[in-house]
Amino acid sequence: MSWIPFKNNNPKKQIISKTVERDFEREYEKLQKLEDQTKKLHKDMKKSTEADTAMSKAAVKISSDLLSNPLCEQDPQFLKSMTALDTAMRRMDAFNQEKVNQIQKTVIEPLKKFSSVFPSLNMAVKRREQTLQDYKRLQSKVEKYEEKEKTGPTMVKLHQAREELRPVREDFEAKNKQLLEEMPKFYHSRIDYFQPSFEALIRAQVAYFTEMHKIFGELTEQIDQPGLTDEQRERDNEARLSELKALSIVADD
Amino acid sequence: MEPIYCTVLPGSPDELGVPPEADKTKHKQSLAIEELLSTERGYLNMIQLCAVDIRNRLKQKQLPDFDLEGLFANIDDVIDVSSKLLYQLELMDTENPQYLQALSDTFLSMRSELENTYKEYCASYSNILILEARYREREELDKAIQETITSTAPHTNATNLSFFLVMPVQRIARYQLLLQTILKNTEPSHPAYRSLQATVDSTVALNSNINEYKRLKEVADKYNKPENLTLMDKIYRINTHSIAKKTARLSQMLKHEAGFLPKTEDKEFDALEEYFLALERGVADLQDNVSTFVKHFEEFLSRRPHECELDIETEVAFRNYKELSAILHKHIYPKYMHRLKSLVLQPLCSLQELFACPQNMIRKRLHKLLDFEKIEEKRRETGSITYEEQEAANTYQAINTLLLTEMPKFNGMATQLLIRAMETFIFIQRDFAADVNHIASGYLQHLPHNKLPDYTFWSWAEGMFLKEAKSLQQISQTFEAELNPHFILPLTPSSQRRLSELTKRYKSEQIYQASSDIKGGRDMDLSLSRGELVAVIQEMDTKGDKRRWLVEAGGNRGYVPASRINPYHPTGQTASPSPAIVDEASKRHSVVVVSPAIESPVLPSLQVQEDYEVFAAYDFSARSIHEVSLRAGELVTVLEHHDRQGNPQWTLVEVQGQKGYVPSNYLMVVPVPGISASSRKT
Repeated sequence: MSWIPFKNNNPKKQIISKTVERDFEREYEKLQKLEDQTKKLHKDMKKSTEADTAMSKAAVKISSDLLSNPLCEQDPQFLKSMTALDTAMRRMDAFNQEKVNQIQKTVIEPLKKFSSVFPSLNMAVKRREQTLQDYKRLQSKVEKYEEKEKTGPTMVKLHQAREELRPVREDFEAKNKQLLEEMPKFYHSRIDYFQPSFEALIRAQVAYFTEMHKIFGELTEQIDQPGLTDEQRERDNEARLSELKALSIVADD
Repeated sequence: MEPIYCTVLPGSPDELGVPPEADKTKHKQSLAIEELLSTERGYLNMIQLCAVDIRNRLKQKQLPDFDLEGLFANIDDVIDVSSKLLYQLELMDTENPQYLQALSDTFLSMRSELENTYKEYCASYSNILILEARYREREELDKAIQETITSTAPHTNATNLSFFLVMPVQRIARYQLLLQTILKNTEPSHPAYRSLQATVDSTVALNSNINEYKRLKEVADKYNKPENLTLMDKIYRINTHSIAKKTARLSQMLKHEAGFLPKTEDKEFDALEEYFLALERGVADLQDNVSTFVKHFEEFLSRRPHECELDIETEVAFRNYKELSAILHKHIYPKYMHRLKSLVLQPLCSLQELFACPQNMIRKRLHKLLDFEKIEEKRRETGSITYEEQEAANTYQAINTLLLTEMPKFNGMATQLLIRAMETFIFIQRDFAADVNHIASGYLQHLPHNKLPDYTFWSWAEGMFLKEAKSLQQISQTFEAELNPHFILPLTPSSQRRLSELTKRYKSEQIYQASSDIKGGRDMDLSLSRGELVAVIQEMDTKGDKRRWLVEAGGNRGYVPASRINPYHPTGQTASPSPAIVDEASKRHSVVVVSPAIESPVLPSLQVQEDYEVFAAYDFSARSIHEVSLRAGELVTVLEHHDRQGNPQWTLVEVQGQKGYVPSNYLMVVPVPGISASSRKT
């Protein structure tokens, strides 16, 4: 069939080489995993900061409930201590809010934005796949006509088929090329993209805990108990509880 | 000569050795002192034998269900006190004139120790008896006990433990008698007399206190346990007596509320109760809040964002973050949690539990108070009350006294614990912050931008992300770009008809082709099949949406998405080279006006030297005298590439001997190299 203008040496049904296909698959799989992991990270960070905020609010409740207790009216020293504690808790809550805001802006939102690229990517891959299917279909059609007897109608149909095939093939090749170029680029972009996030996380924590150390350190100086070890504290508590239990009005089981 | 009688002179002993009156007293006194000491020694020996030997033997036997601690109570403390007492008493020689003073001093100085130790023991004694009776009923225990006693203390002829265990109860009461005897035999003029008197009084008081304590404890045990009665129990409890009791209380309470009776106000008690309730509230709230706090921390701990696998292990910021978080999760956070739970939460829980019983007692006191008021009323009115009523009144007094005595202690100690818990919390927070900071600062040093001050860093970070957002958007757009070239789908015969219809009424620029199946969703939407031809009437809908175009398709008008239709330019879009059938044309016709202007843009840029054959691609029915019909697959001969007006959309052909015009795009050119003109059909 030497009059066929374009050489078609591909074996039947073999549109793209196995290596090319495998490369594509591999790149896409990497991106799919990246998609899962960024989604997971986004969720974890969100839940983590939510729990963090809840903790801080619970801490404020600790001190504010005590401050509103009638005991404060009875004992001025108690009132003074609880006021100091309440102030400290509220300050810490403000710092926590700031920390959460920073994380929101530099970690959670960027993660979301990064994830939002994936639907477009997945769509593009799907469209490539569809085009590939069209391509394969039209390719077999051409091959079918090529194998038939060279009659007038057949020739026309063959020509027609080839005309139909050509744009589809070009479309697929364009899509394939674009994805093969863009996918690795996108995958690689994650490194630089996320670097500021992780720096931000460490920095935010250091800033917060520095404040916490300062604020609670100040409070401990107002307590005139010397620093006790944990065992001493435990024994102290036990002793006091035993004393209480020794009272007749407290039942001894 | 030996005197037969001798005059008895005061102060001088006679030969018979009988001391005079004063000496008799002195002698009795000495005897009494001696008795005190010797009995103490004997007593101490006995209880030591019991507490040490007997108890150890019993312990070794490892008897089942045997409450050794309950049985022996605080006998060890009793032994300590007794030993100390004996030691003090034996320090000085009893003949020493200072002895009595020393004795008094000893007793007085040890008064509180004696009282505290013995009161506990005596109060526990009834429990000891109960336990012993219970164990005696069990044959194997009884045998074991007997055996132990007989083997350790055969000289006592004792057959049960209470023989020994009752001794402290007896002993504490005995001191009083012994000391009284000594006092009786002491001259009031003796320098130590007053001290001795005080000692005796003290001992009397001591015993009275011990008895009172015992009674209060019994009352407390009866009333302070919250009663966990089942419904059935409660029903059985109802009898005329209890109903009468409760009715009386209720009426008393109502009288209070209505103002008929003044409530017995006890400001002292009320203050204590108020404090108690506030404290109880405080402890309950604190325990609750700390518990919530810990729960949220546990939730925080369960999230492990640092374990994500973004395949950026080489990136320095991520690596540091991951390591830091791993350490925090593995060591620092659990330590913090453990300290919170064991040093703050746990004690608070234990403390909270202790409030139940006093609260119950307070409630019972109120009930008993109501009874008491009625009784007092009766007493005032009638002058006499029954024995039971007296008992009830006593009970109220007992509970009231107990509460008044112990509530201040309770309140004080519980407050202390509460404050301690908060202080500990503060220390734990500080330590936690120190721990985290210590580690995190280390990792901060490794970060690229660690030198930046905070404000600058955050500005930089936020700026970075805004920039990155833009490039991400670009990437998205790249992926979204429609890479469909506007390629033509070949026409089906129905499409051919559609085309000719549409071209009659619309310009060729308005003709579009659907690139895929379109399913109309909304009102006024059209559904098209892939390849179908439409004419675009308007490039937006009535609301101005440019993505929805108004089109006509086969007499129907409606909206379709603009992205799914492509302009249909059959000429010039297909790659198929249009024929440069110059030779043939010039061969056949002289009337060929082949000028570059008219030569349609269809002429291919590639001037292939090969020959072409032209076939009809589709059927075509001639509708006028100037047109000629075609059958798909027919070989035709092109005479002219345009019609009389020069319109390239019509081609003059000859087919089957007929000449006429056919639509240009109904023709298909197939390169056929090597076929000579002569073999071509005409």
